[in-house]
Order: sequence, then C-alpha cells, then structure tokens
Amino acid sequence: MNDLLIAGGIGMAFGCALECAGLGDPPKLAGQFYLRDFTVLKVMLSAMLTAMLGVFWGGRLGMLDPSTFYVPETYLLPQLVGGLVFGLGFVLSGLCPGTSCVALASGRIEGAATMLGLFAGVLLVGLAFPAIESFYRSTPHGPLTLQHLTGLPYGVVVALVTVVAVSMLAWIAKREAAR
Amino acid sequence: MRLMRRLGFGALALGLAAPFVGGPSRTQQRGLDLDSIARAIDEGSDHVSARQLAEWIRDRRPGLRVIDVRSPAEFHDDAIPTAENLPIDQLARSRFAPDQTIVLYSQEGAHAGQAWVMLRALGVTHAVFVPGGLADWREEVMSPLLPANGSPAERAQIAELSHYFGGSPRIGGEQEGEVAGAAQTARGLRRRGC
Repeated sequence: MNDLLIAGGIGMAFGCALECAGLGDPPKLAGQFYLRDFTVLKVMLSAMLTAMLGVFWGGRLGMLDPSTFYVPETYLLPQLVGGLVFGLGFVLSGLCPGTSCVALASGRIEGAATMLGLFAGVLLVGLAFPAIESFYRSTPHGPLTLQHLTGLPYGVVVALVTVVAVSMLAWIAKREAAR
Repeated sequence: MRLMRRLGFGALALGLAAPFVGGPSRTQQRGLDLDSIARAIDEGSDHVSARQLAEWIRDRRPGLRVIDVRSPAEFHDDAIPTAENLPIDQLARSRFAPDQTIVLYSQEGAHAGQAWVMLRALGVTHAVFVPGGLADWREEVMSPLLPANGSPAERAQIAELSHYFGGSPRIGGEQEGEVAGAAQTARGLRRRGC
C-alpha cells in the first residue's frame, strides 16, 4: 500500500513536470517531428541526464543498488515494429501515453481521444496475442544496455552520454537564442 | 539562462568524473560466499517443501516469485500455478528485486538446486528451491496421501490445500492396492529431467 502511495506521488509529480514543460500541448509535441520545437528533446535529454547521473552517483555513494533495477528485455524486431507504430501514433495525435494523461487532466479533448485509442490498442493486442505471440517473443537479446553492447566500463558510458546530451542541449539553446 | 548554464556545467562535471570513481555500486556482490551457502544448507533455509510453497501461493505471500527453470516446452506442458518460466541459461541475465522471495523449481529439483547456487553467486540471497520439484508438487499438493493415523484437522488441512489447486487427495492405509498404485504412478511421474 505504501509503495502504491509512493508510486502515486511520483506519478503526480511526473505529470506536473510534464505539464510545466508544456508537454500537454499536442502542437508542441508534433513540432518536434517537424524540427520546429525542441521542447520534447530538451525534456527527454535533461530527464535522461538527471536519472543516469542520479543512479550512477547514488549507487557509488551507497544510497541505492543499481544492480537490483529492472532492465526491460530487448526483442529487437517486435520492438522496432512497436516503435514505428508508437511513433506514427505520436505524430498523428501529438501525444504519447504519459502526455495524453496530462493533456486530459488539463482539460484538452485530444488527451481523451488519445487515451481512448491507447486503450483500444491495448485491447486489440490482448485479443490478438495468441496469434502474434511467436512474433512478440522473436529476436530476444535479453536486457541490453550500452555498457554491455560497447564493452566499455559503466563510468565511461556515463561520461560519453553526458557529453553527447550536454552538447545537444547547448546546440538547441544556441539555436533558440539565434531566433 | 545562467541557471541552465550552471546546471549544464554541473552535469558535465559529474559525467566526466564518472570514469574515475570505479564501479557504480559498492554493494554489488558477485562470487560465491561458501560460508553462507554452507550455513543455509545446514539450517535448511535453502529450500522449501512443495506443500509450504502451495500455502504461500494460496495465501498470496507478498513478494513471492515462483520460477520454473525448465525449458519453455516443459513449462507449457505442466507448471505450478503463478510460476513464470525462466530457463536456467537466462537466470544470470535476469534481475531480482531485494524484497522478493524467489522460489525455484525444476522437474525433480536437481536443476533448481544448481540454479539456487547460481543465484547465490549473483548475490541473490533471498531464494529457495523445491527439492523434489514438480514431482513433489504432484505428490504433496495435487494428490497428497492423507495420513491414516493423522488427526482429522490435519487431514482436512491437507485436503483443503489440495482442493484449492484442483487436486484430489488419496486416503492413506484405506486401500493398500490403491496406495501402492498411486506410489507407482508417482514413481512414473519422476521419470524424466532434473
């Protein structure tokens, strides 16, 4: 019960952060796909940096144990197809599952429509699951991480991702300042 | 803008310092702790009976995770309710939350015992295995022998647990032929795998 309360609190805070960043606004999100608005990229990069550095340093300082974290398993082909379907839905509706909840909570009808589509999709996949199960479980690669893929030490991967992310954020800031 | 720049430099400093501070976790433990393994075996805290496992499943013990380490084909053939299939070659790549009670089983227990040692080597100390595996489950839960000299309460308890999982208890000592036949059936069930 306590875990549920904590999860609820974190979910609410996540929703508030998304709304504050303006990600409940479909044109803003769709703008990312047309390279007009980089808010999504900025939010994603800063969230990834915060989480990655938090996990690394939290683990190093003994505040948490990263080895106990769940890393979802990679099924290459089905996840590629899933990613394409997800991206298509994203650009069509201007919302993803998380931001559709935020949009609905802030009174946007697009949020309700996207959530309806989301649940319809979940239902359809559930009903069709016996037929697609073999594809769903095809090309398994276990829990893949950049560290395992590249063979580099964890700290080096953290440094490289940080450099790439900060460089991209700096480039976006420069581009926005020039406008 | 100044705050954002400071945050950016802060992140960059933390990121660039990461390669020089070693592993991400001080608590990560790998390798066999032979003393603790010997202690667990000696105390019997390394295993759990099929009947005890049945009670845990029935009582919805919080954090219980039952893992079948056999092949997917064997798992689809017959498995303990609520179990998930995680063949032994995938164990090392899996993650286990510290608040979970991991229960491993195989066909007859040998592979589950080996999987238990593997998990200990991975630093997972909250795991147990079912020594007789699925064969014990069938004998002790699905068709348990009700002791002829047991108290009515004890017999009712065993029968109730068996009925919960759709099993049918056998009456001990009532029909010797039937019991002998059942024992033979049970021996037949222990025919393959580990």
